[in-house]
Amino acid sequence: MFISMTDNFVIKLENVHKSYYLVNGEEIPVLKGINLEIKKGEFVAIMGESGGGKTTLLNIIGCLHPLTKGKYFLDGENIGMVKDDFTLAFIRNKKMGFIFQQFNLFSRFSALKNVALPALYAGLPAGEREAKAKTLLSSVGMAERIHHKPTELSGGQQQRVAICRSLVNDPEIILADEPTGALDSKSGLEVMDIFTKFKKQGRTVVMVTHTSEVAKYADRIIYLRDGQVLDNDYKLKSKY
Amino acid sequence: MSFESLLAKKTRTFLSMLGIIIGVATVIAVFAVGRGAQESVNAQFQNLSANSILIMPNRGRGFTSSSKLKTADAQLLLSADHIASATGAIQGNSTVSYGSTDKSYGVIGVDQNFITLSNLTVADGREIAASDIEEKAMVAVIGQTVATDLFAGQPAVGSTITVGSKKLEIIGVLEKLGSRIGMISVDEAVIIPSSTAEKSVLGDRGQIMIMTTVDNVDNTGLATTSITAILRNEHKLKANQEDDFRIMDAGSMVAAAQASAKTLATLLTAIAAITLLVSGIGIMNVMFVTVAERTKEIGIAKAIGGKRSDILLQFLLESIILSMAGGIIGMIIGQVAIPIISYFNLMTMASSTTGPILGFTFSVLVGIFFGFYPAFKASRLDPVDALRSE
Repeated sequence: MFISMTDNFVIKLENVHKSYYLVNGEEIPVLKGINLEIKKGEFVAIMGESGGGKTTLLNIIGCLHPLTKGKYFLDGENIGMVKDDFTLAFIRNKKMGFIFQQFNLFSRFSALKNVALPALYAGLPAGEREAKAKTLLSSVGMAERIHHKPTELSGGQQQRVAICRSLVNDPEIILADEPTGALDSKSGLEVMDIFTKFKKQGRTVVMVTHTSEVAKYADRIIYLRDGQVLDNDYKLKSKY
Repeated sequence: MSFESLLAKKTRTFLSMLGIIIGVATVIAVFAVGRGAQESVNAQFQNLSANSILIMPNRGRGFTSSSKLKTADAQLLLSADHIASATGAIQGNSTVSYGSTDKSYGVIGVDQNFITLSNLTVADGREIAASDIEEKAMVAVIGQTVATDLFAGQPAVGSTITVGSKKLEIIGVLEKLGSRIGMISVDEAVIIPSSTAEKSVLGDRGQIMIMTTVDNVDNTGLATTSITAILRNEHKLKANQEDDFRIMDAGSMVAAAQASAKTLATLLTAIAAITLLVSGIGIMNVMFVTVAERTKEIGIAKAIGGKRSDILLQFLLESIILSMAGGIIGMIIGQVAIPIISYFNLMTMASSTTGPILGFTFSVLVGIFFGFYPAFKASRLDPVDALRSE
């Protein structure tokens, strides 16, 4: 039986480039040859200067962006050049859960419906997806507020709803873009508490952050500078 | 999901539905008008059997401006090939008064065969007899409505009414019929001997008409040829002169009237189609605005695993719900409007099932057709660009 070299890594990027193009055709390179490997069950934080390509990297891992050049192995399979919407949507839906800085909940829907939405896209029947959503919301202390709309919830509560949404299809990988960036420190701590549980559940977490306080929860920090990996195992200098 | 999105913007939802509402209501009204026209054509010809042939004067052009057609020509036509019966009549309008009541009614001058041939029955008194024609008798048979209007339930036979300036004695009252002869409703007509009408009551104001029947519908052509020959001879027309009469057989008359009713319906359908088209463009506009407004949501939906088809379907459903709701409201308005319009006698309308079905179907089709492009655009948005928008 053939076993690929990349088998240990749930995510592996090889010489990944990403450029944006201006209207006049000018190329703006954002990622300039990224190489990184993330093991299954690892909690990785991506740090770096603003404009260094952190969010672009996360969007590439999240299959929201096509690569300009390079290879992206997901579970050992190179999906870097996959353009098919059905496959990409399937990956985003089933294999990954996205958490955003600004929560990005649907303001018209209740917490319950927000959480259940990815399960709707996955084709789950209404009863099943709402039951799942309820269980998840209860597990983060939101049982009393399942019918509240996002505008009726605090930032911390909204982020908890968003976390539940990312979990509803039980994905292997959680992708988070500054998950505590819009929260006060207490809510931020609560959110990081939930993140540490992900590791126990065996999920791989990739989190973009610019604060050491948050990054310290990670097993490993990848530091980006100017579109390249400066350090694959960056050590925080402070006493955190 | 689609419902909630629509409810969130009630005013806009309503305004974009307005076009569809008007469109569908128009479709229904149009079909009702078309149906009404059809029914009035049918009513007009309902006691005209397929084997009747009608002869009317042809005033022609230029110097042959007069027609020699007389009601008495009917008697000659009895000898024409394949003609089973013939009766002459002269029609017009006149003021009829009795006591202090006076009103305008249709006046029909007829020969002795008319009442029987037209399937009319005398409820009280007697018919117009051959002797009345010969004597140019000043007598009249009146329709039910005339009797009710003038005599209000009192026996009318024996009374004298004034038609125009002539005094006529009522000899009979017809049963209620509800049908028309030519353009005159029989119930609202005063029927008098043709000779009396031609000589004094109507004179030149009367429209002469000879009604004949063919022994068999298949012989209509032969009968027409024969009638033409007899009348040309009687009117002493030279070979180079045009006929001073027109011959119309029931079949082609009904066909012509139905064709014109159909033309009307086609025209109105075109108007309705344009209304629906315009309303469709309105819906497309609103959907584009909606997509632009919800760009961020589209990005989120994609990030959490929404496929292009999911997004396409959601927006398409919204526009279908929008147009369908408009369709239903339009259908209700249309159906309610028909009896109201008919009640005020503004237009002849008859509700049909085709109208609502077609109106509703088209509203859904408009929703699909005009909702597709905005929905397609939405489904193709780049997820990261969409997420970045506010």
